[in-house]
Amino acid sequence: MKTAYIMQKEIKESILTPKGFLWYILTSIILSILSYLFLTNSELSLLDQGQMLYMIMNFITALGILIGLVFGADAFAGEIERGTLEALFLSPASKMEIAMGKLGAAISNWGIIFAISLPYLFVVGKGGQNVLTGIVYLLILGTLLAITFSAFSMGLSARIKSMKNSLIISFFMFLLAGAPIFLSAALRRTWFGRILDLINPFADAINTFDSVVIDSQGFSYQAGRVAIICGYTLLSLWFLKRSVSGLEM
Amino acid sequence: MIISVEGLVKRYDGHTALDGLDFSVEEGDIFGFLGPNGAGKTTTIRILNAIIKADSGNILIDGHNVFKEPLAVKEIINALPESNGYYEWMTAHEYLEFFSNLYEEKKSKKDIYPLLENVGLSGKEGHLIRSYSRGMKQRLGIARALVNKPKLLFLDEPTNGLDPKGRRDIHDLLIDLNRKHGTTIFLSTHLLDDVERLCNRIAIINYGKIVREGELGGLKGKGTIEDIFFMSTKEGTL
Repeated sequence: MKTAYIMQKEIKESILTPKGFLWYILTSIILSILSYLFLTNSELSLLDQGQMLYMIMNFITALGILIGLVFGADAFAGEIERGTLEALFLSPASKMEIAMGKLGAAISNWGIIFAISLPYLFVVGKGGQNVLTGIVYLLILGTLLAITFSAFSMGLSARIKSMKNSLIISFFMFLLAGAPIFLSAALRRTWFGRILDLINPFADAINTFDSVVIDSQGFSYQAGRVAIICGYTLLSLWFLKRSVSGLEM
Repeated sequence: MIISVEGLVKRYDGHTALDGLDFSVEEGDIFGFLGPNGAGKTTTIRILNAIIKADSGNILIDGHNVFKEPLAVKEIINALPESNGYYEWMTAHEYLEFFSNLYEEKKSKKDIYPLLENVGLSGKEGHLIRSYSRGMKQRLGIARALVNKPKLLFLDEPTNGLDPKGRRDIHDLLIDLNRKHGTTIFLSTHLLDDVERLCNRIAIINYGKIVREGELGGLKGKGTIEDIFFMSTKEGTL
């Protein structure tokens, strides 16, 4: 119950504010521009529906992760910098209850981004195959990645106690996770590229979207990658727990 | 005895902040905890508040072991830290309601009003905290520290930066709390006026050790409070 009150406070502080609304309006504008380009641009409109859907799913996942990283970096370091964490620690809420409340707010943020993106996904994917399956995968993997990256960033925030530094490190880790995307197609087919692809949670998610939406492959093809993402989620939750239990003012 | 501290040691990166601290506080006291900057006052309070861990020692608060039952201790104590920040986007009422919800015994919305009235903020409950003056924020901090009707209240430099009127108001509030509600107050300060006006017992800490402890009246027989303070903290010895 204390977790719920803390989550409610975090949502009011970060989401239900003019700044929070601005994030979502920007999200809508960017998604509108992307969808418009996909559907009207003479070169982009040559892509089939599946590829358009796949690209927009990647963008939504990346956006959810990035905003989650900002939430995570602010969670403890931001409160320490504003001098508000000590009062929270004086209450009988345990450190994990506080962390879970903050993580809950970060996941709610992902939920809102996902909800905003739904109409765009349906419009862009209209007439294509595997639209619903793709959206279900986006919901599941996006949620797991939002938890993974927010919890990681939150753990760093508790350890480093500097919002700026934890944000920089988190962004760097996210870029590392996305690194396989920047490799050439030939390099990605080598053993090195394959391993790099497999161990990166973000790359695992977009490869899964590719496999589900474009190649219409079933769950058995995705299970390994989904399991790896789940592993990262558990690992980041463990990291968060360790970091928060050692957090001192 | 509401606080019993034995052999408390805390080290930071090889520096000993608390070096075998021993003291006790009786229920109903306004206990002054004095010391120069860096003597270990804030560290002691944070350990007593179960916010940071000690390296060794033993602390009982109202019979609860602070290291083993931190959440039980937090239900019966509260504190106003030295650099208390506020959720400035909240109103005073929302702020107190939020903290009240984190305790077993929650306050209803209308129970928040008397708290604000006690600290002289009635009529301002709907204002955003960011519009408050420093003195008003300090009073709100005290109201926050009273949401759970604590048996023991820790205040770390509560009158720092306040004008004489603000200081007088806080003094009156603390005396009222102690006399009417029996709240034990642990007051950390280096403002000797505050100690003289409020406290019945004091302890002086220097270099992480208690160098003097006792009834204020008894100690004052040896000179003014200022004399006692300087004699006790000079070179860390008596």
